[in-house]
Amino acid sequence: MTSSNGLVCFTNCLLPQEDGSLIEKDLWIDDRRGVVLDSQRTFFLRKERPARVIDLGGNIVSPGLMDIQINGAYGFDFSVYDGDEEAYRQGLKTVAEKIVETGVTSLVPTIITQQQSLYPTILNLLRPLSGPNSANLLGWHAEGPFIQLAKRGAHLPEFLLPAPEGFQSFEKVYGTENLAVTEDWLMANDGDSDTVGVRIITAAPEVEGVRVAVKEAVKRGIVISIGHSICSTDIAAAAVVNGARLITHLFNAMPQLHHRDPSIIGLLGASPHLASNLSPKSPASPTSASFTIPRTPSSNALANRIKGALGEGPKATSEAFDELTTPPQTPVLAGVDSDLQLKKGEKAEMPFERPFYELIVDGIHSHPNSVRLAYSAFPEGCILITDAMKILDPHLRDGIHEWRDGKRFVKEGDKLYLEGTDTLAGSVVTLDKCVRNFSRFTGCSLGEAIKCATLNPARCLGIENKKGTLRPGADADLVVLDRKGYVQSTWVKAMSNMRMDSSTTCNICMYVLFCDYGVQGRMH
Amino acid sequence: MRLIIRDDPKAVGEYIGNYIAKRINDFAPTAEKPFVLGLPTGSSPIPTYKHLISLVKAGKLSFKHVVTFNMDEYVGLPEDHPESYHTFMFREFFSHIDIPPSQVNILNGNAKDLIGECNAYEARIKSHGGIELFLGGIGEDGHIAFNEPGSSLASRTRIKTLAYDTILANARFFNNDIAAVPRMALTVGVATVLDSKEVIVVVTGQRKALALSKAIEEGVNHLWTLSALQTHPWALIVVDEDATAELHVKTVKYFKSIERVQDEVEAMHEQFKLKGGTDAFGTQDA
Repeated sequence: MTSSNGLVCFTNCLLPQEDGSLIEKDLWIDDRRGVVLDSQRTFFLRKERPARVIDLGGNIVSPGLMDIQINGAYGFDFSVYDGDEEAYRQGLKTVAEKIVETGVTSLVPTIITQQQSLYPTILNLLRPLSGPNSANLLGWHAEGPFIQLAKRGAHLPEFLLPAPEGFQSFEKVYGTENLAVTEDWLMANDGDSDTVGVRIITAAPEVEGVRVAVKEAVKRGIVISIGHSICSTDIAAAAVVNGARLITHLFNAMPQLHHRDPSIIGLLGASPHLASNLSPKSPASPTSASFTIPRTPSSNALANRIKGALGEGPKATSEAFDELTTPPQTPVLAGVDSDLQLKKGEKAEMPFERPFYELIVDGIHSHPNSVRLAYSAFPEGCILITDAMKILDPHLRDGIHEWRDGKRFVKEGDKLYLEGTDTLAGSVVTLDKCVRNFSRFTGCSLGEAIKCATLNPARCLGIENKKGTLRPGADADLVVLDRKGYVQSTWVKAMSNMRMDSSTTCNICMYVLFCDYGVQGRMH
Repeated sequence: MRLIIRDDPKAVGEYIGNYIAKRINDFAPTAEKPFVLGLPTGSSPIPTYKHLISLVKAGKLSFKHVVTFNMDEYVGLPEDHPESYHTFMFREFFSHIDIPPSQVNILNGNAKDLIGECNAYEARIKSHGGIELFLGGIGEDGHIAFNEPGSSLASRTRIKTLAYDTILANARFFNNDIAAVPRMALTVGVATVLDSKEVIVVVTGQRKALALSKAIEEGVNHLWTLSALQTHPWALIVVDEDATAELHVKTVKYFKSIERVQDEVEAMHEQFKLKGGTDAFGTQDA
């Protein structure tokens, strides 16, 4: 399987580029170190060329897919901990080993709102892990408990919390040790169990204390994601100015797009000039010195909205936050009189960086038109996720399946609902299917769709030099897709847990973890 | 000199590719006795490289025992710059064929001692017993390698200042920023090219038509350095129809007739060999 000089060349293949194009080019990797090589430097400076050449017959070699929001799979639910650490670890291992068949080589296990006492234990178990023969677990994504009751979705209302002490409240819930500042963002200590696993926290900016907590969390390199929220436009924008850089499952568990108060969804079209006035850095121009933006709606109005939402009783879990009253219009910047761009295509200065946003592209959680609308508004921020439930398993047949507390799922294709209801119970779509769907829904190329499941999530997490990319030096986590986007094989750089010693010539190996048809290996 | 005319650049590339493949295969190179090949960069040779790559992939040709020497490289441009000739050669050719990296020679435009680098390059060519076949292209001003108009026809590998024409022509590869185009290059000399046993030059496109006419229809002149090829005993120029635009009809007809006669001679020679005759050097109409 391995190459005599440790170098492997994939040839006759298409490589996704960072601009979303697919180009015909060879890919060279070092299968001992498990990294992507700068082929030209290897040739001219190292004076070597791969001893092993693999002809991919025109297929695509993509960076492995990355899922930054997934609740479980193959029968294991990351959010369920019954006191048995070994069983939980085994569950993680199972998911990591099996998920590679869907082309996923990195994932951020996501836990929904828990009983407060369980957080420290579960999060401690969710440290980054790169076992042999399996996908990388990158850490954890905590969805809740600092989220909006009116948009709680499947989260249990009694576990939701405010954060009156700001970040300290976060520490109290998640555990101080689980939020410690870490330098090891690039996972230099692959599989080192000392690495803290915090990656993403989904919170609602309008919940008490969250606004303050965001700043501190961002300082520590934590990705704050806006979600399960009904916040107004200015609160959402302020959260982004404070460093929130992601939106959790766009369109779901947030107000629908209202043209006068576009709220969270509206961040995708954030006006650069409106945003610059929210930025504390931007100097006030003389004409706007006496002009202040009234914060709307007032905290009273917000309270009313929450009340209104709650007043709808069981409908509070509905996906849409139905506005019965028209919110007051967000003020335009009448006092601002800056220069206008005269050149078409030249971008306005944007001190405000629009956040990344997650999309569940199963055709059920968001209509294809909505998916295309979001992507057209801000393609660079698009991240595909599965948000899959533990029932995710491409081999699972349609029908009725046990969930928990005596409840049962009905699975119909990618649709999952609670037995006896029409309530969506989460997603069961695989990420490779999301990529294919996305290309069809938006009309974008396969290369552009791949980017939304590789480079974009990696950029969001700040690990785009190591994961989600084919840059030289990146981990050789790869998925081979055919030209219709179906997974043919998955490759993960894996490190064995053996201690390195002189007798171990190949401690880090390249494994073909999943192979649908058998890679055509041609020895040269 | 022979001049082969083909319809378009693709057909030119196929002709030269097949020709080089035959030369290498007839040579039957070994590790001890490799085939030494000189190579150019630029857009004209790309169809040739494409065809050679397809022959390698089809198993009809191998570069395992081929040593290559490139003609030139910019001075001061990082080796991995997208416009460096190292990058070009790797992207367009070396990454696709089976040549061992240790058998590839390209001038180092970032050497501290540039003169020393040039002298060492000449010495390295000599140590391989000279170049068996040098493939070249030309610029619109008739330069071969970076031997700009006015270069000595007796020149060897050296530092060369690029002509303003060349800098303008290359600016398109540097975001149309003339200031970003390197001003100097290291290049093999005209005499280095003429020293090789055989020279093949590819000339395609109407823009090269004047240079072609100057090089083959007028006298040997250092303002059109390709014209020095007239003094070489075994030279072949392969062009497309567009490149013949400035040639006399008589010239074109003559060279076309040579090719026809050559085919007949070669067919006869094959018969001769089949009947037990031995191959001799210099059977071609040069």
